[in-house]
Amino acid sequence: MIASNRIADGTFRVGVGLQKAWGVQMATAFFFGEAGAGLYFVAQFFGFVPGMVAGLLMVLFGKAGGHVLHLGQPLRGWRALTKVRTSWVSRGLAAILLFVVAGALHVIDVRAGVLPAGVSQLVAAVALAACFVIMVYQGFAMSQSPAIALWSGGLMPVASLTYALLNGVLLTLVFGFGEHFLAERPDTVRLLQVLAVALMLYGLVTVLCLLNGARHASEGGRQSVAMLLQGGFARWFVPLVIGAGFVVSALMMLAAPPAFAWMLAVAGLELTGYYAFRVLVFKAGGYDPALSFAYRFRH
Amino acid sequence: MAKWGMVFDLRRCIGCNACAVACKQENSLPDGVFFTKTLSEEVGEYPDVTRSYVPTICNHCEDAPCERACPTGATYTRPDGIVMVDRDKCIGCGTCIVACPYDQRTRLEPEMLNKGLFGDGRLTPFEEQGIGRFTAGTVVKCTFCHERVDAGLLPACVATCPTEARIFGDLDDPHSRPRQLILERRGRQPLPEKNTNPRVFYID
Repeated sequence: MIASNRIADGTFRVGVGLQKAWGVQMATAFFFGEAGAGLYFVAQFFGFVPGMVAGLLMVLFGKAGGHVLHLGQPLRGWRALTKVRTSWVSRGLAAILLFVVAGALHVIDVRAGVLPAGVSQLVAAVALAACFVIMVYQGFAMSQSPAIALWSGGLMPVASLTYALLNGVLLTLVFGFGEHFLAERPDTVRLLQVLAVALMLYGLVTVLCLLNGARHASEGGRQSVAMLLQGGFARWFVPLVIGAGFVVSALMMLAAPPAFAWMLAVAGLELTGYYAFRVLVFKAGGYDPALSFAYRFRH
Repeated sequence: MAKWGMVFDLRRCIGCNACAVACKQENSLPDGVFFTKTLSEEVGEYPDVTRSYVPTICNHCEDAPCERACPTGATYTRPDGIVMVDRDKCIGCGTCIVACPYDQRTRLEPEMLNKGLFGDGRLTPFEEQGIGRFTAGTVVKCTFCHERVDAGLLPACVATCPTEARIFGDLDDPHSRPRQLILERRGRQPLPEKNTNPRVFYID
């Protein structure tokens, strides 16, 4: 019998321990980060100012606010800018600051036209680049370390980017409903709908690949996946992340009539699935047994 | 310059937890915080069953993922290989906790420092003198008792272990006892597949 293949959380037993350092506050910050940055990214593509403003506010208050609430010493938070060379958290904070400043400048410039043409383009490019970093860095921050097999897969940044783009497309369809850039061009609405379905399918495959990779990576990964698909978290993960977040929302989007309530419902389902993904992946993150080879000495 | 490291002799560990008590006393650790733990594991099937003990500690990895992930530089490695946390720089983001494959870091929540070892909200004189070492909201971990090591003493857990299951010394010195044990008894690092190159070895 091998005793190390079990959850030994909070006990003095050999086994898989669950991480507790990142919880709902971090999940909320990640949620707003990817939803806000995704919305800004798509909105800037269409020059849709209300969407850009909403994206900026989501990042500024939702993401940054969530991180501040999470920190043990929030007044020292500025120190997180000092290790950009090695830490993805540091790089992310730098990107947030750059994004908020450049994004706000770009929004003002689009409305008031205060910047010269060259500077205006530069500011727009910087805002977009910083926004892109926010869309992916959370995945890199999670996969940077080999500690938690569920997180350390190379597909985590891909999942972040996919979710961010998907959130951005859906929120643009909601916020932009009735706006001239969509109302006057039904083909654009259709294009965004097809893009959303494609991203849902891609996101579903990415999440399944993440789980498959973690399952075969280590004992901790296997236990994490078991918790998500069969254990205590399965009643949330399967219906919300897989069902509502991908399958139902994709089917609804395929059959979508041009109605605001329908778009809102699809976006709501997808965002619920995404938030559940963030929370549950944090909660199910498991460390491998510290000395998983101990029993091998005896056999 | 010495490169400090530790060897755990699994044959000798009897799971008495004297190391954990000595560590808590030396470092005035609050309730719920352990820098070292002795985990137990049942192995085998009836009637051939045995219980083994696995002491765990911060492995002071040569390629420490916690140091790499720390966004403030609060986690750093001393020239003698001891991985430390600067409590004045730590922001309590927890990135190092999720980066450590060995789950050896703890964030000090304010209630941990205030509730007292007896859980009645009052601090004993022992706790009062020790609580000044800590800052709520920052991360703490084993330091190999660096003050003791700097003074030429052994870490408290090593000095206390009644069976000498913990052997501490300079891993760069080919004649040191831990180095000899690692060579003679094929010392293994915990979770070598994580590529962290720990300075803690297990022998059996």
